[in-house]
Amino acid sequence: MPLSMMEQGDTRMITEFRGQEEMKRHLQDLGFIRGEKVRVVGENASGMILMVKGVKIALNRALANRIMVAD
Amino acid sequence: MSMTIALAGNPNCGKTTLFNELTGSKQHVGNWPGVTVDKKDGVYKKNKEVVILDLPGTYSLSPYSAEEIVARDYIVKDKPDAVIDIVDGTSIERNLYLSLQIMETRIPMVIALNMMDEVEARGDKIDCKKLSEELGVPVVPIVARSGKGLAELMEAAIETARNHQKSERVQLFDDELENVIAGIADLLRGSDPDESWWKAIKLVENDEVVAKTIDSAKMDSIRKLVESANKNAGGDAEAKIADYRYQYIGKIVKECVRKAHRGHVETKSDKMDKVLTNRILALPIFAAVMYVMFACTFSENFLFIEGLPSPGVWLAGIVESVWGLLTDAVVGAVEGVGASEWAVGLVSSCLDGVGAVAGFLPLVLVLFLLLSFLEDSGYMARVAFVMDRIFRHFGLSGRSFIPMLMGFGCSVPALMASRTLESDKDRKITMMITPFMSCGAKLPIYAMFAATLFAEGNHTVIVFSVYMLGIVVAIIGALLLNKFAFKSDTSNFIMELPQYRVPTLKSVLIHAWEKVKGFAIKAGTVIFASTVLIWFLSSFNFSGMCDMEESLLATIGNGIKWIFAPLGWADWRASVGVVTGWIAKENIVATFGQLFGGVSDEVVEAVMAGEEGLPAIGEVFNKVSAYSYMAFNLLCMPCFAAVGAIRREMGSWKWTLRAVGFQMLTAYVVALLINVVGNMIF
Repeated sequence: MPLSMMEQGDTRMITEFRGQEEMKRHLQDLGFIRGEKVRVVGENASGMILMVKGVKIALNRALANRIMVAD
Repeated sequence: MSMTIALAGNPNCGKTTLFNELTGSKQHVGNWPGVTVDKKDGVYKKNKEVVILDLPGTYSLSPYSAEEIVARDYIVKDKPDAVIDIVDGTSIERNLYLSLQIMETRIPMVIALNMMDEVEARGDKIDCKKLSEELGVPVVPIVARSGKGLAELMEAAIETARNHQKSERVQLFDDELENVIAGIADLLRGSDPDESWWKAIKLVENDEVVAKTIDSAKMDSIRKLVESANKNAGGDAEAKIADYRYQYIGKIVKECVRKAHRGHVETKSDKMDKVLTNRILALPIFAAVMYVMFACTFSENFLFIEGLPSPGVWLAGIVESVWGLLTDAVVGAVEGVGASEWAVGLVSSCLDGVGAVAGFLPLVLVLFLLLSFLEDSGYMARVAFVMDRIFRHFGLSGRSFIPMLMGFGCSVPALMASRTLESDKDRKITMMITPFMSCGAKLPIYAMFAATLFAEGNHTVIVFSVYMLGIVVAIIGALLLNKFAFKSDTSNFIMELPQYRVPTLKSVLIHAWEKVKGFAIKAGTVIFASTVLIWFLSSFNFSGMCDMEESLLATIGNGIKWIFAPLGWADWRASVGVVTGWIAKENIVATFGQLFGGVSDEVVEAVMAGEEGLPAIGEVFNKVSAYSYMAFNLLCMPCFAAVGAIRREMGSWKWTLRAVGFQMLTAYVVALLINVVGNMIF
């Protein structure tokens, strides 16, 4: 399922990214790789705040829709 | 022996703080060629032979952003004597990803493990000795903010540079992948085996920038090798490489880092984020912060107290009056020695030119003291995120809000604030539309027309509508620029939210000082030259010195007035007003005062405040053409000071001219529409 469906407090594992190569690479640089755990720590109108590799990352829903996590 | 040591690291790792601590105030800020990325270097305080270069903050050496390309080109091509890689100890796993990539270039390097005070406060322990053994690179624990460990760090870095001590090659990948990389490196067979190896990894990673540097015959065989690597990796060798790097990091972090708590513990930053990025509270809090910032810089009635100037206005007032006294004294002295009229004019116009620059410095200073506080504290990243949803509709980033809001005070510091924008495209568009926000100096123009041509009860509506016009045109302009000039995809937003930290006074002061200095030098020349030029045009004709009515400027005004006929004001005096408005927009009122009947200074003052009209302008303007004239001056090229700021921030004349061209065109089209539609209705 897409990461955007996760709820605040959820922790799930990243399975794949569906989108442009360039963005995929940037996501990898920020720690979003297959098998990595992400936790949703916040949500607002702009998007979601995640915890990845001990770092807080904010992203919008358009991007969160393209990141798949394990069901 | 002189040497260069480059600082590399993730954004928010404390790199700039370290740079400031190492170099003190002896810094030089420039631009990397071709991009609007700051290039900062300075001399190490304790050893004048060592030059420290601050590379832009990056997450990796892949070519995702201009910053990353700059950083890696410098490391790979210019080869500093050593690189200090700053790793934020509180997020060591993510930070080491860049370290591994720098190690792949095999440049002599030292790792500075920063924020060790915070690591300790959490109760975590990092075994630096073991980390150093594992990575094959010296690791020095530091606290950049307090200066702890910096002497040891520099000692290690200088030693590494002196010995040309390359970082060791760690085997990160499986044998198959290593073989492919070795095969490609062999094909490249460059003069430098380390560079070939690095390029080979990048080619497996599908790096287009590196691929372009390789001749096409070789690329064919390389592609076959990359293909085979992809097949082995289940279709995606690039992801596999990233995966191996993180696996390796995971392994050594497990060995070297002992965490006090397993899992995530809520920090102070997390608690603050619950409020500051809250669904409901985020926007009101941001509005309050912006109000305070605007009031501190521009307000004439600070803290709602009638007549109390804000720190920015107060300082600007002092600079202006001191400069006024100085100008009077110098001009008086020049007149006293019996200099000719033109010499006196030249001296006073030069002083006005310098004064125009000096008058803006307090505003720039105050705004940037506040802005760099917000930036360094980590709040600005939240602003970008919270405002993102609204600004995305216009194809802009959430951070564009700050320059645009400040534009209502003064375009000069507002344009300089666009530096905080992440992407080059957002920065350029924001700079092009920020002058559409009606600045304080444009208000007297509206006041003049409102008091002269419009009924008493309508003044407020007229002035307010001009402000709204600016906002609407800015939004439409941003949409059009996005669609036609930049053709960009703006659907994605991703950004790290660093931990909140209280910025050090030193870094805030250095940041603000750099801005003031940069403006005075870079923008100063533009402002000075244009002020003197306009003075010359307005006080000379071919037979010598004269009044403005007979000057070259009047001749030019007469020559170009037909251009404005479609806008409803084909009059040479109106055209001259546009030109003198470029020195400072409020000049238009003084120019009109002189050209329409030569009224006294007191009358001009009253007209500027909207207390009195200037009936003579009724000869040229009716309501519709007056509105068209106001719109034109709102939107056309801003004052020279703002153009100077655009020039400084764009980093190129080409883009400066494009921005001015866009503004002129917009002004013409909007004023034309107002005149045509207005005449149909009224």
